[in-house]
Amino acid sequence: MRILGGIGRKLGSAALSLAILITLTFVLVHVAPGSPVYQILGPKASPASIRELNHALGLDLPFWHQYFRWWLDLAHGQLGTSYSVERPVGSLIVSYELNTLALQIVSLVASLLIAFALGLAHGVFYDRTPGRIIGGVELALYAMPSFFSGTLLILLFSMQLGWFPAGGLENLRLAHQTVASNALHMALPCVTIVLLTVPVLSRYFAQSVHEELGRDYVRSAAARGASPSRILLHHVIRNALRPLVTVLGLSLPSIFAGGVVVETVFSYPGLGWLLWRSALAQDYPVLIGIVLVIGILTVLGNLLADIVNTLLDPRTGYA
Amino acid sequence: MTGVVLSLRQLGVELAGRDGPRLASNMAPVLEGLDLEVREGEMTALVGESGSGKTIAALAVMRLLPPGARITGQALFGGEDLLGLDERQMRARRGSVGMVFQNPLSALNPSMTIGRQVAEGHRLHTGASAQAARRHAVDLLGEVGIPDPARRLDEYPHQFSGGQRQRVMIAAALACNPKLLIADEPTTGLDPLVARQILDLLAKLQRDHRMGLLFITHDLSLVERHAQRLCVLYAGRAVEWGEAPAFFARPRHPYSHALLAAVPRLGQATLRGIAGTMPDPGHRPHGCRFAPRCPQRQDACTRAYPPPVGDGRTQAACLFPLGEIPVAAALPEAPAATTPLPGSALLQMQSVTIRYGSRAGLLGGSKAAVAPSLDDVSLELARGECLGIVGESGSGKSTLGRAILHMLRYEGRILLDGRALGDLSPGDRRRERRRVQVVFQDPRESLNPRLRIGAIIAEALQLGGQHDRDSLRRQTDALLERVGLNAALAGRLPNAISGGQAQRVAVARALAARPDIIVLDEPTSALDVSTQAMLLNLLRDLSRHEQLAYVMISHDIAAIAWLADRIAVLRAGRIVELATTDQLVNHPRDPYSASLVASAPRLGAATITVPGEA
Amino acid sequence: MLDATQQPVRIGASSFLARLLQLRPGNATLTAGLVLAAIILLASAIGPVLYGRDPYALHTASVLAGPSAAYPFGTDDLGRNAFARLLVAGRSTLYVALPATAVAFVVGTLYGLASGLGPRLLDQALMRLLDAVLALPGLVVLIFFGAIVPLNTGSLILLLGLISWPSLARLVRNETLAQRDRDFVHASRQLGGGLAHIAGTHLLRVMAPVLVVNFTFLVGDMIFALSALSFLGLGVQPPHTSWGGLLQEGLELVALDAWWLVLPPGLMIFAAMLATSLIGQGLLARGGSR
Repeated sequence: MRILGGIGRKLGSAALSLAILITLTFVLVHVAPGSPVYQILGPKASPASIRELNHALGLDLPFWHQYFRWWLDLAHGQLGTSYSVERPVGSLIVSYELNTLALQIVSLVASLLIAFALGLAHGVFYDRTPGRIIGGVELALYAMPSFFSGTLLILLFSMQLGWFPAGGLENLRLAHQTVASNALHMALPCVTIVLLTVPVLSRYFAQSVHEELGRDYVRSAAARGASPSRILLHHVIRNALRPLVTVLGLSLPSIFAGGVVVETVFSYPGLGWLLWRSALAQDYPVLIGIVLVIGILTVLGNLLADIVNTLLDPRTGYA
Repeated sequence: MTGVVLSLRQLGVELAGRDGPRLASNMAPVLEGLDLEVREGEMTALVGESGSGKTIAALAVMRLLPPGARITGQALFGGEDLLGLDERQMRARRGSVGMVFQNPLSALNPSMTIGRQVAEGHRLHTGASAQAARRHAVDLLGEVGIPDPARRLDEYPHQFSGGQRQRVMIAAALACNPKLLIADEPTTGLDPLVARQILDLLAKLQRDHRMGLLFITHDLSLVERHAQRLCVLYAGRAVEWGEAPAFFARPRHPYSHALLAAVPRLGQATLRGIAGTMPDPGHRPHGCRFAPRCPQRQDACTRAYPPPVGDGRTQAACLFPLGEIPVAAALPEAPAATTPLPGSALLQMQSVTIRYGSRAGLLGGSKAAVAPSLDDVSLELARGECLGIVGESGSGKSTLGRAILHMLRYEGRILLDGRALGDLSPGDRRRERRRVQVVFQDPRESLNPRLRIGAIIAEALQLGGQHDRDSLRRQTDALLERVGLNAALAGRLPNAISGGQAQRVAVARALAARPDIIVLDEPTSALDVSTQAMLLNLLRDLSRHEQLAYVMISHDIAAIAWLADRIAVLRAGRIVELATTDQLVNHPRDPYSASLVASAPRLGAATITVPGEA
Repeated sequence: MLDATQQPVRIGASSFLARLLQLRPGNATLTAGLVLAAIILLASAIGPVLYGRDPYALHTASVLAGPSAAYPFGTDDLGRNAFARLLVAGRSTLYVALPATAVAFVVGTLYGLASGLGPRLLDQALMRLLDAVLALPGLVVLIFFGAIVPLNTGSLILLLGLISWPSLARLVRNETLAQRDRDFVHASRQLGGGLAHIAGTHLLRVMAPVLVVNFTFLVGDMIFALSALSFLGLGVQPPHTSWGGLLQEGLELVALDAWWLVLPPGLMIFAAMLATSLIGQGLLARGGSR
């Protein structure tokens, strides 16, 4: 019961975050220099046509009125129409978002598995040679910008070896694409995201495994005669996973951001790639839609991490 | 004749220093040549201040020292040398040797039910089924006094109180049927009444299960009633050991004397501290370790470690053992009780109530259900008076201190010279606030670790509006000397001085504001026994010479009684008794204050319980 | 397992250099990072002058030439000297990234202090706002703004600086909350210290190690963000160039196998981020657990 109450509080807090986020995006649009009308009609538009379009878009209404309409439109799922491709922003985003989700979920699962194993080894051998080596690898990977590792992968595997395509995947759901071809197209972007995510997660996990191993309860378990492997499996991992889940929730924004760059490098038709194209084309409705969707996904991701953490830690539910 | 369960022979431990790589040159001996016996059904106490090596000895027996430790000598358990076993064999012995640690909260896994933790040892050593281990755990929890154990089995450590957690730890250690139980400061951090119960429980279990009990503590008065044997450690070496009753009747070593004299007891008039600090491993003097601080020191003491002297009952490693001098004699000098004159109240608290914690969250926690942490408390403090506030944790005594310091919001009125702080202008408020200063419990926490001692004291003067550099320097030096410190310490950082010195710096900083009142919030609890007495003496001196009023908050009624003119006993946020020290100590009216008084060490009241008698 | 009183008492403060030269954990890391950072800084600051070749001159005779004595890192598709361009790219990258870090650092620290020291209600409001801002990936917001503001050195510094502070602000706020209830802060308040005094004399001083470490990490993040932005064509604008911009040009020519246009700028970003990570890690390890 109390755990449910804790989750309820977190839901409320997430909703508040979302409301602020939506307001922020509204403000972003209105502080943006260069009116959208100007963007649509171009420099040679007549004052009359500008006035007409302003009215059509509701831009001549008072500020608060526009803010209210912004909420109303969002409530109906209306995000406007793309300036450049003349499609409703909502459906445009959905079609690209599915590609992104496929890529991100595959990469995240792979990253978590690798980070778990690597971080555990790092944490157990923290101050000894194996731990130092893993730590060095993590540090080097961390310093590697995703657009560079992606470019290197293309250079090596696509250009030199020709194993994987460098890009050009139109849409995962197009009929003529086979599963094998999809996998081939996703392989390199996926590896790039894994290289980006693993060092952060595994370093955190290693740190918390190391800290937990130094705690008093580990010593009391040892004093009862528990073996090192039993201590690790029954005592340490569960406690060490909590910070990992937290950091996973917190690093969702940067994982998404990393995805943006990676998608661009490989011309992978996901949300990030769409964001980039829209930015270059200054397509405001699409840009705002994407910012909003990514924001919502992050808030939901954080909420999920909180809930998992509450379930992992008997104390938080009673806090 | 009872059998020997554990026998330590010339046990020695070397540990690597914290800084730098693990080189041979960096190894420092933290324990040397310890001989000790624990017998079946008996309690052996290993007594020493922090840094004496007592915990290291226990961890060496359990083979739980950090990697890189070098252990020498023998630890014979049932005739078998534990130090010679390989890790797998040792693992099987752990459990037969059970251990209870200090701080039960961190010693229990926060995300595992206590039932599983209690059952873990039993399952590991007997291979019992989960069901059987669970039943066993219920029995054990019942035995250690957890009410309704079957229901509480699936709860987590944070749902238990401090004393109950320690009971759970004891149950978990008992689960493996130990022949030897090592208890490392199991009562430190617990309230005196709870500590007493835990100690009684351990003594009872030790008799019922015919276990040998190795009880590690810094507090001699704690083991006076239960221990059969005892060993006093100082700076890594045993200074005195043997049968406990004989030891308490006639301690021989000057350090044992000093330790006994340094613990405040009810009815005691003088406290004698031990000047100086215990030498660190690697910097220990040749010969007797205690020689630099010893009043009996002669040249011969520094030549070689003294051979043991004594009879078959106790022995001491001392060349010039003390003979017949009785311990901490009650001198006729009684504390000069300054009875507050009516109408001259410096500080008045009128119906002060504090409802919930200092910074309760806007979104978190329900407010209405929480009982007030301070409930309708009224007090008066006269100029130059020392008022003691005694109570257990959660009684609201710290809250009371924080209210006087205006660190919390409160209902009711707190008046200084008849004026409330809130009625003053901001400038006057700052000046009035400076009249009440504070010394906190943990001296390390109360000094900014990145400011030098001189700067810490100068800050107090600067905030009083003084900015002349020469004058600041002179005053800083004078203040340091007034609290008994060398002015050369001004250039040090807080981590380069000892805890006792740091607490004196905190006192000097308080004095720098020329206060009328100093709130002493458990000023001695974080200090070693020998340093405690020195600080209490300093505080008493200051109050006599400076017309300073104290509000001293502590759980240690003996320490308070030594310093205070009047004592208020606080329970659940209410004052249950407020009386002069003499009256409270000798004729407490309230049953709760009576039980607090009864739990405190009293001069000349050492009663030794022999097994079978109780 | 050893309590604090068993640590050898350290007397006085040894000089920074002497401490650096001791082989303590973290010192090797820190030294490596500092050396790497010094090389990158020098190459970017005085490299272009020392090398002296025009990064904008078009050598039409040798378009897309591989590394040679005349062109150590080859030429690009317009025949420009890639090495000369790499050096000026470093200059313009750091020219934006370092001031932007300073902006973010100041804003983040002040925001965090205000939130941590201010009244409960202000703290709640500031933190809700921060949560919402943090829910937006910084790079996404950067791309968003990069699309709508005119890009030049000044706007890039402000853009990067004003978008990268939230995580630092949260850290400073949490650290402030953790420190403000320490006893020495209460003692200072009791002596009449005001909020500004507390923040300046106590909080910032105690937080200094944490702040220094996070400043170095922030420099790395900023170099990454600017490079990513430039890589996406929304950062440093032509004719100026940056490491990210060079890498993007290289990627466009990747089909021609011009690896010499890809490796050097990529490695420079890698080296710069490695240097800041090494310095940060080294400082952390030296500080140990306080």
